[in-house]
Amino acid sequence: MSQTPLSTTPASAAVPRGLAESHSLVMALVGSGGDGVALLGDLMLRMAAQQGLYGMMVQSYGPQIRGGESAVILRIGRQETVYEGDRTDIFLCFRLADLKRFQGAVRLHPQSVVIQEESDTGDLPEWIGRSDRETYRYPFAKIENGIEVPGDPKNMLALALLCRVLGWPAALAREAIGHRFGSRPDVLGRNLAAFDRALAAAPPPPFPIAPGTGRSLFAETGNEAIARGAITAGLRFFAGYPITPSSEIMETLIDELPLAGGCVVQAEDEIAALGMVLGASFGGVPGMTATSGPGLSLMTEMTGLSSMAELPAVIVDCQRAGPATGMPSRTEQADLYHAVFAGHGDFPRAVLGVFDVVHAREVMYKAFTLSERYQLPVLVLSDAYIAQRRQIRAPVEDSRVPPERLVWKPGMGPARFDVGGEHGVTPFRVPGNPEGTYLAAGIEHTQEGYPTADGTIHQQMNAKRFRKLEAIARDTKDWFRTLGAPHAPRGIIAWGSQYGLMKEWVAGHPEYRVFLPEILHPFPIAALDAWRKNLESAAVVEMSYQGQLHRTLAGLTDLSGVVSVTRSGGTPMKQAELERLLDERRS
Amino acid sequence: MKAKDYRSPLEPVWCTGCGDYGVLKGLTQALADLEIPPERLAVISGIGCSSRLPGYTRSYSFNSIHGRALPIATGLKLARPEITTIVIGGDGDGFSIGLGHLPHAIRRNPDVTYAVLDNGIYGLTKGQSSPTTEVDFKRSRGLAGPDERPLNPVLLVLSSGCGFVARTHAGNLPHVRETMRAAIRYPGFSFVHVLAGCATFQTPSYAQEIYERCDMLPEGYDPTDFAKAVEATRGERFQLGVIYRRDPEALPEGALEPAGVAGIWQPRGGGVSEDAAHEE
Ligand SMILES: Cc1ncc(C[n+]2csc(CCOP(=O)(O)OP(=O)(O)O)c2C)c(N)n1
Ligand code: SF4
Ligand SMILES: [Mg+2]
Repeated sequence: MSQTPLSTTPASAAVPRGLAESHSLVMALVGSGGDGVALLGDLMLRMAAQQGLYGMMVQSYGPQIRGGESAVILRIGRQETVYEGDRTDIFLCFRLADLKRFQGAVRLHPQSVVIQEESDTGDLPEWIGRSDRETYRYPFAKIENGIEVPGDPKNMLALALLCRVLGWPAALAREAIGHRFGSRPDVLGRNLAAFDRALAAAPPPPFPIAPGTGRSLFAETGNEAIARGAITAGLRFFAGYPITPSSEIMETLIDELPLAGGCVVQAEDEIAALGMVLGASFGGVPGMTATSGPGLSLMTEMTGLSSMAELPAVIVDCQRAGPATGMPSRTEQADLYHAVFAGHGDFPRAVLGVFDVVHAREVMYKAFTLSERYQLPVLVLSDAYIAQRRQIRAPVEDSRVPPERLVWKPGMGPARFDVGGEHGVTPFRVPGNPEGTYLAAGIEHTQEGYPTADGTIHQQMNAKRFRKLEAIARDTKDWFRTLGAPHAPRGIIAWGSQYGLMKEWVAGHPEYRVFLPEILHPFPIAALDAWRKNLESAAVVEMSYQGQLHRTLAGLTDLSGVVSVTRSGGTPMKQAELERLLDERRS
Repeated sequence: MKAKDYRSPLEPVWCTGCGDYGVLKGLTQALADLEIPPERLAVISGIGCSSRLPGYTRSYSFNSIHGRALPIATGLKLARPEITTIVIGGDGDGFSIGLGHLPHAIRRNPDVTYAVLDNGIYGLTKGQSSPTTEVDFKRSRGLAGPDERPLNPVLLVLSSGCGFVARTHAGNLPHVRETMRAAIRYPGFSFVHVLAGCATFQTPSYAQEIYERCDMLPEGYDPTDFAKAVEATRGERFQLGVIYRRDPEALPEGALEPAGVAGIWQPRGGGVSEDAAHEE
């Protein structure tokens, strides 16, 4: 494995690890369904944010969406954190048997701190690696006559031990517990008592982390960021249907959209969800839906209607792995074809990709800008890895006004679908305007909206609608990000949540530069071609069996010599795997 | 305003003798009676011969995709409650491909009027069977008859908890007008089953037979009695009139009627605030 400067281990092995303050560390917390591992992670993340530390937390469930084992990976550091790290500095496990499912998710190094249930006497599995430090054992479980009975909340006991490991003040933890259980005094008391009991135990081995700035930050998930970014961008109507891993977008909006004067409907299915959004949009109100692959498939016909009837709509797809039901809680980047190409007939749409939680808000603003300005569907591709991640970020300061639709007023002239509109955009007729009545239609139509079966008109209308896409391509020609030195000899093209891995990778590999499109369709291909001049080698790195981005780009530019480094989704790619895949494709 | 002021400049492409003409006429008369300003009116449809109707009304109209008019109307009504919203569709559109949306529109109870122009056939796609094609449906073209039993759409709508359920026949213009007027006035989701003949795929005698199988609901019929309403949907004959009308303020009562939503449904948040709409 190559060196990773942002990772947890300082180069100097002379300093006993764990005693020097680390600038970034990774914790892995593993337990059973009821152990409260997720809450433990949340509390730790909150405490980090309060101290001005950055971090991110990802959760992993069993193959079933609810119940069973659960693991949390938490990385905390002094810099913005968008990659979960390669090695585990602190490993806490309530039940060894639960570890099996998370093979590969925990990787110990010689200085790792290991905290285990006292009654778990078995050995750690080989694959996990080895720490030179002695395992710390604590009786989390209450055992009577050889069976576990309800006892102290394990996560509170663990929270106290972790505070000791990190050197974090107990007051900070008490505040976090209070924040969580403040409304239920009896529960709060019980949890605080457990916390104090473990705090008084013999201290576990230390693994201190350098202090944060002291300026408090806050944590949100990718789904929350998408919901909130949409509200800032002018969303006032949302309809959706529950589906992993996107449901929290609707759940967040149920709480927060009414405060902005909007409303939320849980539709009977995804077809209805997008239908309702188009109805609201027809009424002049900016709308959005959010779903995952199966729902996006159902929305296909309706997406074409949005484009054909020129009704703005934002469609968020939190990609999960596989076709049909696939692997609902796993991440993948294999809905790209669907987003860019799905639907019968020719129609324009735009597709944006989300890099991380912070970027999610920015992308939503851009999505609404394009959809409202150009009166067409805009798809936003997030994925399970971003959607379900909780990430610490700087406080949001966004005072931008929402984008506005070009609205028709009496005397303005053009018919609703005038083919002469600038950039293909014609003023939108909002119901309520006495002279603006018209027919919106999914059937091909004349400039007035009336049905036609005339091939010449169809050609003209396609040209009108696709002029919008040309204008979007001009507006968005620099919607991409690059990483690394501009003249680095090796290039990687990646998108979406691969951003985190790429950021980490270039920091340790100065020979690499990376290109990450923010808009996937229309693709900023001129920018890509300019960026990739003088490369010795180049690869498209993505997570889809077919290499959907690589194949899509091959249709847009000469990709000869650019290799496809790809695999199916599942767990996110790590540096070691990327290194191996790049080596394989090079030889 | 007169009925003709609710017509768009577009001339219908329906076949001569199509029942849909009567509905267009009766509807525009009802709109004139109610003095609904065309700019406050939205007429929304899916796809089918009947779904062409919104193109012929002066309104904010939307001829969408097959079976999906109800969600679109629901979204519009929530976003713009002040817009009178009417959905027009066919039996294939509403009772086959789009049926899944119907009970949900009913339980949400937006103030939308839904008229299904039921000709018992797929007109636009040239005479295939629909969910309401009767077993002894008489076709004028050589397609095979149905081998499936039809469903009873009015009973289905009643049993879903719809607060206003009526039936009319497109050949009885004054009745179409009166029924549409009552449905549009009803504050809540209202359903109108319109028997509308298809001049092309039904034999004239079969169309006539349907007309003759219609009865007006008897004098003194109480449309608030749910059990009676259920009774009125059964049998070979078609009862015309307001079959069921629940007090829009009342909760559904009695064990017979499924629990529906009383009053006008509010989404989470209670609707979109005024300034959200880009209005003058
Ligand atoms: C998804 C989809 N499937 C099939 C069709 C073809 N199609 C158009 S209208 C129609 C049925 C029309 O019957 P009905 O709704 O009863 O309307 P009518 O023409 O009888 O008024 C069908 C099957 C379509 N447009 N879209
Ligand atoms: S085919 Fe039937 S339903 Fe369609 S327009 Fe002709 S008569 Fe009317
Ligand atoms: Mg029909």
